[in-house]
Amino acid sequence: MKLPDTQVALLNAASATDSKTVAQLSEATGENPEALAGAAFDLEAQGFVAVEERTDDRLALTDEGDRYREAGLPEVRLYRAADAAGATDDPVSMGRVIGDAELEGPTVDIALTNFARKGLGDIEDGALSADPDIDPESDPHAAALAAIADGEEVSDDPVVDRLVERGLVDRSERVERAVTLTDDGVTALMEGVEPAETVGQLTPELLTSGEWEDVEFAEYNVEADAEPASGGRTHILRQTAESVKDTLVGMGFQEMEGPHADADFWINDALFMPQDHPARTHWDRFTLDTEPMADLPTELVARVEDAHRNGVGEDGEGYHSPWSEEFAREVALRGHTTSLSMRYLSGEAVGELEPPQRWFSVEKVYRNDTLDPTHLLEFFQIEGWVMAEDLSVRDLMGTFEEFYSQFGITDIEFKPHYNPYTEPSFELFGTHPKTGEIVEIGNSGIFREEVLRPLGVECDVMAWGLALERLLMLMYGFEDIRDVHGTLCDLDLLRNVEVLA
Amino acid sequence: MPVVDVDPDELRELAGYEAKSDAELREDLFALGLEFEGETDDGAFQFEFAPDRLDRLSVEGIARSLRYQYGDARGVYVPSTNDAEWTVEVRDVPDERPYVTAAVVRGVDMTEGKLESLIQLQEKLHATMGRKRAKGAIGVHDLAMLKGRSARAQRSADERATSEDRRSSGRSRGQRPREDGEERGDDPGTGEEKDGSKVVSYTGIEPDGDRFVPLDAETDMTPAEVLTDHPTGDTYADLVADYDSYPAIYDEIGLFSFPPVINGRRTEVDEGSRDLLIEMTGTDQWTVDKMLAIVCYALDARGGRIEEVTIDYPDRELVRPALDTRTKTVTHDRIETTLGIDVSGEDVVDLFERSGLDASETDGDGETAYEVTIPPYRVDVLHPMDLVDDVGRAYGFNELAPRYPDVSTVGGRHDRSKLERSVRNALVGLGFEDLLNFHMISEDENYERMRVAPGTDVLGGGAPVAIEGPYSEAYTMLRTWALPSLAMVLENNTHRQYPQDIAEVGFAAERDPDAASGVAERRTVAAALARTDASYEDAKARLQRLASAFGADLSTPPTEHPSFIDGRAAEVRLDGEPAGVIGELHPAVLVEHDLELPVAAFEFDLAALA
Repeated sequence: MKLPDTQVALLNAASATDSKTVAQLSEATGENPEALAGAAFDLEAQGFVAVEERTDDRLALTDEGDRYREAGLPEVRLYRAADAAGATDDPVSMGRVIGDAELEGPTVDIALTNFARKGLGDIEDGALSADPDIDPESDPHAAALAAIADGEEVSDDPVVDRLVERGLVDRSERVERAVTLTDDGVTALMEGVEPAETVGQLTPELLTSGEWEDVEFAEYNVEADAEPASGGRTHILRQTAESVKDTLVGMGFQEMEGPHADADFWINDALFMPQDHPARTHWDRFTLDTEPMADLPTELVARVEDAHRNGVGEDGEGYHSPWSEEFAREVALRGHTTSLSMRYLSGEAVGELEPPQRWFSVEKVYRNDTLDPTHLLEFFQIEGWVMAEDLSVRDLMGTFEEFYSQFGITDIEFKPHYNPYTEPSFELFGTHPKTGEIVEIGNSGIFREEVLRPLGVECDVMAWGLALERLLMLMYGFEDIRDVHGTLCDLDLLRNVEVLA
Repeated sequence: MPVVDVDPDELRELAGYEAKSDAELREDLFALGLEFEGETDDGAFQFEFAPDRLDRLSVEGIARSLRYQYGDARGVYVPSTNDAEWTVEVRDVPDERPYVTAAVVRGVDMTEGKLESLIQLQEKLHATMGRKRAKGAIGVHDLAMLKGRSARAQRSADERATSEDRRSSGRSRGQRPREDGEERGDDPGTGEEKDGSKVVSYTGIEPDGDRFVPLDAETDMTPAEVLTDHPTGDTYADLVADYDSYPAIYDEIGLFSFPPVINGRRTEVDEGSRDLLIEMTGTDQWTVDKMLAIVCYALDARGGRIEEVTIDYPDRELVRPALDTRTKTVTHDRIETTLGIDVSGEDVVDLFERSGLDASETDGDGETAYEVTIPPYRVDVLHPMDLVDDVGRAYGFNELAPRYPDVSTVGGRHDRSKLERSVRNALVGLGFEDLLNFHMISEDENYERMRVAPGTDVLGGGAPVAIEGPYSEAYTMLRTWALPSLAMVLENNTHRQYPQDIAEVGFAAERDPDAASGVAERRTVAAALARTDASYEDAKARLQRLASAFGADLSTPPTEHPSFIDGRAAEVRLDGEPAGVIGELHPAVLVEHDLELPVAAFEFDLAALA
């Protein structure tokens, strides 16, 4: 019978009467224990050997335990020094004993604690007295340390437990396997077994020479873990952005682009945000140290100012807020990508647009917020709008249902809301898959006439800004967005996060 | 968004629904757009809502909204007012804060609950419409502690000091005809008395022009001392920092309020107070008048009787509070198209009335429309569309069935978006981990830690676009290149497995006076190989592959860059144009980032692959 090398070696080394451990077999055959264990199981499956498993506690000294084995346990050293100083008769100053025992640093505390705990004596008012009945030479802990170091059995469990607790001994479980030849195994041996010729690596030579036909390939442990391979992946948030873009393109939306640093006019004024709105104060936005934007469309600026001051339409009213062109020309990082929508709706970006239109962008916006697990200073906004003759809030709701269902989110809730630039307005909520929390995921509405008429738009436009990061959190169940986005990101998380189709 | 604390028992009492459970109340309020946020330590509910319906900043206002929602109240309600007895005379006020408004409310019989609600309403109005007191600031005073001058205007403290005899006169409480005010204005300084009129004056004084005991203080102070020595003064000192004279309100006895900073202690309202003077000063008459209207509605709901106050400006006279209604016209068609529903005219009128509005059908221009009357506390209504929203809320937006709009358009991505995606995919194919970093960075990270000096002619050396008054030292400018971000990621991941091959296609910007915004924005492609044997050749191999995948002709003439090792750095030229830099990062840069292995890297402009 032909068997692989290791199995042959094992059969020859094993005995029908003596069960032999894998370690003993390894010593006898010179094969490594893992290979032998594998061979033993294979032979057991063929009925040639019996494998018996035994679980043992294995004890080993830690570095600290080993030091104490050599130098003596700190409390024992303390007792010896105390004894030498006569503390078995009268209390002796603690400082002196510690000095005599040559204890330093954390060892002093260890010595004192265990001295008292083991009843080697008393410490009172800085003086130390030693119990004269103690024999420091027969300390059970010291004895156990020595025994463990010599590989002897230690049967006193409380002593071992205590040493483990003190971090002087490591306890680990060891599975030991012992192999015995079965009758079939003995028979097989008597009939004769010989090693099969095996090769490790398939080489070009084997292939070209034709030798491959005569060889047996050594078996691998095909279940073992391999070294991790490195490979690139698209960032998880980018992947999400890409699927959002694909989805919106599929729904008939064209993509917008435009400046990150823009005049407040495009970011806020065109949106009918009063200049004294709290979100326009220094604290909420990132103003840049650049010159004001000189180039703004003059007539549009005048129409926007008029909307702010006097409102739009016969029954319209303006704000009772100051308005200055100087403020409108200030340059800041956009707080929303609605600045792009304004540029497109006004005709500034790609010329006049006739209804129907659908446009979107998935781009960064900047908010001066406090960084926390759900808030970043920079994040992605999914901006979108639909222009048509007549649009209703039902169209708005229907568009969101369609969009989010593409990402498996079907529990969207709408809450009537207020924005200076839309009426009616709705906030959107979804449920976080891990925490069960209701998370705000976006804001939407139908643009006010005070926004549209100055831009020259006479039909309806419904619009929204959704948070890409929130969509990501809903899809993947992330709880801290900072693990993903930014320079504090965890490469392991990015490498290992599960891909959702 | 504002958060308002509401005692549920008071709410039940004011709304007239003693039996409503807490859960029912919360549900009904959610339908109004008030989101339950939690409970305070003493059991009050906290609700958050959007800052449009500022009349709901008090339990009284919320109860009124509930009564409309439950159908117990319908249409517009305007509290009745008694004629004015008191006058606020406005003379020599600071230019920056010229406007004032006021009302007297009698018979409030202050309790702890009412007082808490009033203080909260005052604070929340300050935070919202009042723009942190800059635009409008409210002062509430115990009327019993005020002594109105029964005489006509006296313009100086000196004069007041010598007019002891006048203070005790003029006791009768008859109504002062409004026309009298105009007469008085025409004839200043004669000292003639007006029967029954009581005057306080709003004026401007020198920062150290007078003394009073402010709230929460034991000793008298000048306004200037309040700003430096009193905690409230310290908080609001910025509001009057540029004022030449400080706003001050006087009665017969003396200075009793220093708006918008703090009231005097003498007129402090407490649980014993019965009659109140409410004054508001600000930078806009409409704003303070609307704030006052909201406060008057709340006190009216508590049984207070509103009494008018004459505001005597040098050039005109106003009677306040202004509780007049406005009207706007909404077409039936607009309601149906915006909500996507069919609804009868009767139902529309009913929905308006349930929103606290009055509506009557009109048929102007042959089109069905409604003339809608709007109560004075509805500061949010600027346009007829705001009334359509009210109809929608009363109808119930949740009753509406979503539908996908029947509008056909063709979608597509713009060119740069497609290029970015292709380059990112190519980098991933070359084994790079795709990263996404912040566009904001600190000067230290962007320049110093990379050994680059701002304003130098190397990649990353562009002049910074800085954020004005940044919150965080970590984010003070826009990054001029992306390699500093990659170096930071490597620095933060030294405990993770190597090799770490990372790349980013992202945004970078630098100062450019020729750009419209003063900012030149670009997209950049950056990559770094961190591994024990990383070399120039590893980076070059990948760059070559990338360039050829996009049909760009790559050459790499030697160059010098402070972030890279001399002799191991080259310019990235694509189709003959300089586009970036490639090389082995300088050991000083590696050590600075706690890296213990070599890093080869490149960065170039995305547009060069277009």
